[in-house]
Amino acid sequence: MRHRTVLEYKRYRYLKLAVIIVIAAIAGYGWYTSPVGRYGGTLMGYGLGTVGALLILWLMWFGVQKRRYRGSSGSVQGWLSAHVYLGSTLIVVATLHAGFQIGWNVHTLAYALMLLVIFSGFYGLYAYLRYPQLMTENLGEDTLDSIVLKIADIDREARKLAVGMADNINQAVQDSLQNTRIGGGVLAQLSGKSRSCPTAKAVALIQASVRQVKGEDARTNKELYALMLRKQKLVERARADVRFKAVLDFWLYFHVPLSIALLAALTAHVIAVFFYW
Amino acid sequence: MKILLITQTRNKKGQAARTEQPLLTDILRIGRGTDCKLYLPDPRVALHHAVVRAAADGTCFIEAETGAVSIDGSFERAGKMRVNQRILVGPYELIVLPGQDNYDLVLSVELVEPLREGVDEVRSQVKAGLQSTWLSKRIMSWSAFALILLAFLAWPVLNAVNQPPAAEKKEALKHAVTPDAAWDVGPLASAHASFGRDCNKCHQLPFVQVRNEACEDCHKTIGWHFPLKTPMAKEIHEAVFPGTRCASCHRDHKGPDGLVRTDATLCTDCHADLKSRHPKIGTPNISDFTKDHPGFMLSILQPGKTGDGAIVRVPQGDKALAKENSGLKFPHETHMSKKGIRGPDGKVMMECANCHVRDEAGIRFKPVTMKEHCQSCHSLEFEPKATNRQVPHGKIPDVLDTLNEFYAQAALADTPIDVVVEAGIRRPGERISETKRQAALTWATEKSAKIARELFEVRVCFACHQVTPVAGTDSQPATWRIAPVAVTQHWMPKSRFPHSQHNTFECSKCHQVTGSKSSADIAIPDLKNCRECHGGNEPAKDKARGTCETCHGFHTGSHKAGVPAIVPGSNVPKPLLQKVTTGAPGDGAKQ
Repeated sequence: MRHRTVLEYKRYRYLKLAVIIVIAAIAGYGWYTSPVGRYGGTLMGYGLGTVGALLILWLMWFGVQKRRYRGSSGSVQGWLSAHVYLGSTLIVVATLHAGFQIGWNVHTLAYALMLLVIFSGFYGLYAYLRYPQLMTENLGEDTLDSIVLKIADIDREARKLAVGMADNINQAVQDSLQNTRIGGGVLAQLSGKSRSCPTAKAVALIQASVRQVKGEDARTNKELYALMLRKQKLVERARADVRFKAVLDFWLYFHVPLSIALLAALTAHVIAVFFYW
Repeated sequence: MKILLITQTRNKKGQAARTEQPLLTDILRIGRGTDCKLYLPDPRVALHHAVVRAAADGTCFIEAETGAVSIDGSFERAGKMRVNQRILVGPYELIVLPGQDNYDLVLSVELVEPLREGVDEVRSQVKAGLQSTWLSKRIMSWSAFALILLAFLAWPVLNAVNQPPAAEKKEALKHAVTPDAAWDVGPLASAHASFGRDCNKCHQLPFVQVRNEACEDCHKTIGWHFPLKTPMAKEIHEAVFPGTRCASCHRDHKGPDGLVRTDATLCTDCHADLKSRHPKIGTPNISDFTKDHPGFMLSILQPGKTGDGAIVRVPQGDKALAKENSGLKFPHETHMSKKGIRGPDGKVMMECANCHVRDEAGIRFKPVTMKEHCQSCHSLEFEPKATNRQVPHGKIPDVLDTLNEFYAQAALADTPIDVVVEAGIRRPGERISETKRQAALTWATEKSAKIARELFEVRVCFACHQVTPVAGTDSQPATWRIAPVAVTQHWMPKSRFPHSQHNTFECSKCHQVTGSKSSADIAIPDLKNCRECHGGNEPAKDKARGTCETCHGFHTGSHKAGVPAIVPGSNVPKPLLQKVTTGAPGDGAKQ
């Protein structure tokens, strides 16, 4: 059976609900005419605003809900499907609530934050649909930990072999064993690369020294080269894995704080509107 | 295939223990996966590492799947399993033991390469997961939350609650950023822009809609839709506008021109069906200018006894009533003749603007006056031989005095002019005798009376005014009565018509005067004329806007509303009589 994504959950149940909400909002907006124009301050404006605010609160509840999915209120996949589709309807509901009016104020701040939250969510959805497959392709049967173990095995072998080699090669191997970083800071994780990686340097050095060593050393050199090359490939795969995980996580560092910021701006918006009614 | 698995384990002290597990299976899958019959939970083992199968001859062979299998020290894709053979699957050692109890295969399994300490070193070099970096959703979220609430909620609220003294506030409002600037939903109407930074000018109480009092602080003279002078007017007002606030219609923060409603529904919501909604008002139903707008009513000034009479409202369509009674004779046809008209210096072609001069606002016209617009042609000369003298335009006694004074002077003067031939010519320096003096005065009196009669009844006054001779009595000399002049200045005071916005048209497009022989003719354009260019509530092709608000205002006391509206239900019969109020509110928008 083909794997069903959150988008297809229960035969697009929440897509249908979202379409109904959008059509209802557009119809209401179009049908309701007010002599003072179409904007948030009319009866329809208040209505759309209430729907929008309730949707936002409900969507934020997802953040709480998914942490305790053992609860009885449906599967996480169902919640996520609803979260994605109903969240998208806010683009229409909130825009109509505002009557297409924007300005440099807390009201538009709330609107802009909401759009940022939604679009960061779209990116997150894209990431969830795309990266797990890439991660599987990258890791195959392995896990990051199994790669680490394999590297540790290689390191042990390499250490033994390098002991008998020239000082510079031994040093390069030792450097690789001690200083090969996988992941690290935000940029290192997101890029999946490490500038002047000691393993890559060691591989290059051993390859360059092939012609300079002879006899038994040449065989050891070859074995060492093969080991370090394997390590380099493993390190690259490990870094790719770290990168995928980071990318898969990174958007949440926008999505979550922006949604909390939205909650603050929404509160300020609602209070401001009625404080200066 | 019958298999016996013997798993060898060692505790921390190195003591061996073994467990036996008999299996009956077609194939023996080896791997990290939990679905493997030979489950080897170690990260260095593949999920489906290898598989053991029975060959046709009853022997078993091992086959690598996704992992690598070392058989007796060499990596192989597949190989037969012989007794005492040593097979390495990742860190595990499998040894094929001699068969027993009809088992096809007896296999010993032992972890020979446990995870080593070196692994920790490699692990220390791995830093995965953004949660291990400085990034923190929690800190970012709380900072943004607090910052926004402080800047956009706490600061403005505290500022609004703790209003500083007026002087301090004035200074504070000059700052580039005011606390509640971020609450501003949009640009204010241009009239409110000057104080717009002071939100509390209108938003006086928190969580209370802008009150009428806030508007009336400045808009002191604005009235409601009709004057609330009578109980009935008040009653109707309550019925028509229950709970209506200024801000019900006037929503600010909608741009420079957004404050005033110009939509037709403002009026038609009630006026389209006014008769059934509010029968007491007695105004006809009007839903659209192009459909059911009644014919215009004209406000005609009546002469009264002295010219300050009443205004009569008459339907424009009633030809019998719609006549001006200005007390003047003025045939437009003669003055506007294409052949020209005789002027003091020969024939002239007159234009409308010779007499009708636009007022400063460009909306209506200045009154036509004798001195400025008539007298250059209609001279008040009375003596053909003294063309530099004119009688004053105004009161009859002044005219008579001027004539008497002129002719007496002429008759008695030392140097008589040639008009006084009938009184006898004196030589210069000759002293006048009493007899001659009496004769001269008698002549002068008769002469001035004769000339006066000529002026009033034949030549001058009579040309424009309606003059009636009044016979003298014992105490009163004969005189004349000049009909009071009552030139209507504002024909349609309940609407506004800015002439300046209609400059592109010739006057004659709307005002047909060339065929008018009488001053009673009224040349105000009718409904049909306006409809030639103006559409109704809905935008129409090739038509200018024609909503109610195009011509009418809503409020009494508004510069747009014209003169104060009629008190509804006051049972004033039509045509309605109303006292003239010169300079009434709305004068700026007269027609």
